[in-house]
Amino acid sequence: MQSKTSFFNGTIFKKNLTRYWPLWGMASFGGALFPLAMLVNLLHGSNAFRMEPLEMREIYFNVLTYAVPVISIVYAILCALAVWGYLYNARSVGMMHTIPVKRDSLFVTNVLSGLTMMAIPYAVTGILVVLVSLAAGSFDGLGTLVTVGGVICDSVCFFGLATLCAMVVGNVVALPAVYALLNFIAVLTDATINLLAQGFIFGLNGSYSGQFEWLSPVVYLMKKVSADCEYGQIKEINNIEQYYYTSKLTSVTLENGYILAIYGAVGVALLVAAYFLYRNRRSESAGDVVSVKALKPVFRYGVAFYAAMLGGRLLYALFVESYDYSDVLRVAPLSVCMFVAGAIGYYAASMLLAKSARVFTKKSLIGLAAVAVGCVAMCITMGYDLLGISRRVPTADSIETLTVYVAENNYNLRGGQDEELIEAVRKMHQTLVNQQERAKQNSKERCFETNGKVAFTYLTLEYRLKSGLNVQRRYNLYLSEDVMALDPDSYDAAIDELVNSPAMRQRRIHADDGAKVTGGWVNSYNGNGFDLNEREAQALLDVLKQDAAEGTWGTYDWFDRDYETAYAVDLDLEFQIVDSDGRTHYDYINIVIWPEMDHLTGKLLELGLAEPEDLISRHEYDERFNWGYYDKDPEVEAMLNAYSKAATETVIGGAYATTSVVVG
Amino acid sequence: MIEVKNVTKTFDGFTALNDTTLTVPVGAVYGLVGPNGAGKSTIIRHLTGIYRQDSGSVQIDGQDVWENAALKSRIAVIPDDWYYFNTATIKDMMAFYKGMYPKFSMERYEKLKEVFAIDEKRPIRRLSKGMQKQAAFWLALSTMPDYLILDEPVDGLDPVMRRQVWSLMMGDVAERGTTVLVSSHNLRELEDVCDHVGIMDHGHVLLERSLAQLQDNMVKMQVVFADGMHEVPADLPVLHTSKLGRIHTLIMRMNAEEATNRLAVYNPILVDAVPLTLEEIFIYELGGADYAVKDIVL
Repeated sequence: MQSKTSFFNGTIFKKNLTRYWPLWGMASFGGALFPLAMLVNLLHGSNAFRMEPLEMREIYFNVLTYAVPVISIVYAILCALAVWGYLYNARSVGMMHTIPVKRDSLFVTNVLSGLTMMAIPYAVTGILVVLVSLAAGSFDGLGTLVTVGGVICDSVCFFGLATLCAMVVGNVVALPAVYALLNFIAVLTDATINLLAQGFIFGLNGSYSGQFEWLSPVVYLMKKVSADCEYGQIKEINNIEQYYYTSKLTSVTLENGYILAIYGAVGVALLVAAYFLYRNRRSESAGDVVSVKALKPVFRYGVAFYAAMLGGRLLYALFVESYDYSDVLRVAPLSVCMFVAGAIGYYAASMLLAKSARVFTKKSLIGLAAVAVGCVAMCITMGYDLLGISRRVPTADSIETLTVYVAENNYNLRGGQDEELIEAVRKMHQTLVNQQERAKQNSKERCFETNGKVAFTYLTLEYRLKSGLNVQRRYNLYLSEDVMALDPDSYDAAIDELVNSPAMRQRRIHADDGAKVTGGWVNSYNGNGFDLNEREAQALLDVLKQDAAEGTWGTYDWFDRDYETAYAVDLDLEFQIVDSDGRTHYDYINIVIWPEMDHLTGKLLELGLAEPEDLISRHEYDERFNWGYYDKDPEVEAMLNAYSKAATETVIGGAYATTSVVVG
Repeated sequence: MIEVKNVTKTFDGFTALNDTTLTVPVGAVYGLVGPNGAGKSTIIRHLTGIYRQDSGSVQIDGQDVWENAALKSRIAVIPDDWYYFNTATIKDMMAFYKGMYPKFSMERYEKLKEVFAIDEKRPIRRLSKGMQKQAAFWLALSTMPDYLILDEPVDGLDPVMRRQVWSLMMGDVAERGTTVLVSSHNLRELEDVCDHVGIMDHGHVLLERSLAQLQDNMVKMQVVFADGMHEVPADLPVLHTSKLGRIHTLIMRMNAEEATNRLAVYNPILVDAVPLTLEEIFIYELGGADYAVKDIVL
């Protein structure tokens, strides 16, 4: 039976589906287990799946967001292997290209076969879920429709990518490898470059920037698309005529659902690209790792690049970092390590392409030289920060949001709303990058050293720009009390000035930043503690703001000088923050309570969250309840004496010297 | 008619076909012979639409073969290593061929079932190599092809089945005017069935003629010269010479009559013209083309 449509061949379609029925049959069986489990639940009278249609929609959307991309990414490559597997064997490709059917028709038929194989398990599962939800009274038409659309988009996207990969490679092992690589290449490249760059560039401390995440559909979809649920308070009455409020789902939408449609369209575009590659595909490429001639150099140098980046860093860690503990990478040794690893990658790729180990030709030395130049150029670019990454401080008008973590607290600033604070942070950031050499030198010299005069702190800045880009910096800093006091232009002073400015003190307790206090804890050193409800937490926050405004709270002590004078009771507050993407986060801040904080201490006493005897200093507490107590205890005293005696007898020596006991 | 004109094909810098030209007349049984690596399978893959030539043209009945589904539906191919779907039975493959080839004849398929006597429901991978080859013939002949292109077709078949298969193909040639192009190393067998022969070497067709022309173009002369003449005269155009006792065996590129006349000048005691076998023609032609195996064969 030959199809009358020239772009479709029924015999090949039937052959594909019947030949690979175990694939889609097993997948359908696996998918059908979930609705069958729902049915069994219902038949046993369980109410687990007797839900409102909106609740069912939420489940649909969660499945669409988290399960479908993961299932599709795996299942698409299996379907692609089934329909395109013939391309990788000289016998099978010969047979399929001998039969009287055009490549156009063969391509379209195979694509439709693959998509059908992808659709069958989803369709079986979907139909069964709809039937069970109809029986349970939880059917949601709109949710079903959106989910079907989303599944189609996911399937087309991943099958399109798998098909494009199938056209690019000529080897059955290379197909899943290239497919996996392409799916995660953006994430991998990002992480790889950051891995090296952070060893060179001041402030670059994240292992992954996420700038190109959109090139990895499964990662991007799972991060960006989600079920957006809204809840309302519903007044209900129980059977003893008491009114009560319950939370009820009032709306469920698919947040960023358009991204699915975009990926679906990208999938179609990939299929079109694959079609043109297939039309020009040389049957004799069966067995080659890369079947497209123009892509062979891309493969060769691509492998060399990743080998240089990852292998070079590994060699550096093994042979250089074993004796050089500096946290800053050195250009020359890293260039050598990268070149060695890059050369291995270069020749390994050449061997795969040539299907022979005889690749060490004179001609190959030109490529090897290119690898060497690339490695050195990359190291120099990063080592001397030729791109100026470490010096980059975004302009004020380009900032949409700025998140700062400093002095153990988070600050969320918004462009157009917190202009003065953003400018203050930018100024401090600029001071820091201008003095980066001193900061790096401090890090090197004062490794692990902190004392009353030097404090160690983390500073994290995350600029989200209006362009959609993120600029993230993290600094590990040693602050000097002397420099802070004597040099007002130092970064030490700039950070202190920023953190202890009145505006930042208010912001530390999330005044005017849209965050909502949702609870907290009062913790006393004597073991007593109270969980705070939202109302109590809000009351304490209000008085804390008064203390902050009056200057009795909020001065961050970098060097912990007066710590012992604080009360032996402290307060933790929990804040709920909704970011610009609509996502909810929680922030927790710890409030050390000082005797001058009249408003807060008064409110604690008023609410019964502390007793007057709790409000003693930490020093006094230790005196009274810890060391003071033990000193008076004869048993503890005897024990301390024993330790004291033991301390006069010291064992020295060991592995490298004669062991001896010194008494003194 | 099959026409390959000035076809060149290279694989990663290696020239597999070099300006190859080949013509197979309609209804001919054309034997394509040549040493290993000469390019026989490559040219067959061009003729069946698997490979696309870098330059030149590959046509059948005046139409390009590449991407010509209608033309390919008239061509049946049996490669040296026939491909079947992994779990398929002959019946499954029959269904596939039936769907793909519009002229597929169930009547012929049923008739051939008796000839080949293989269980059509057994998975093909369970059949012996010879039986798999029979299955390939069974299905190929059932497509009622106008052109039958065969690459080492009877390898693995027992002598009885070889004869049976050749008989079937010759029947098609006689009854339906099927054109057959067959590549083989079994020159003895080709000699019995082919009416045209092409000799390939190094990606090039060295010569192609009808078998009669080929045999007429080269002759093996056995000569006994008169006393005192122990060597073959240097002015004789001889491709190869050997001597056993007083009998000189000369291979000469001319017909028997011309060779007899040329030798008559030397008043030989005995002159006898012996027709060359295809194998001998193959060896001596390729000997002229520096075929490395000639010394071993001779």
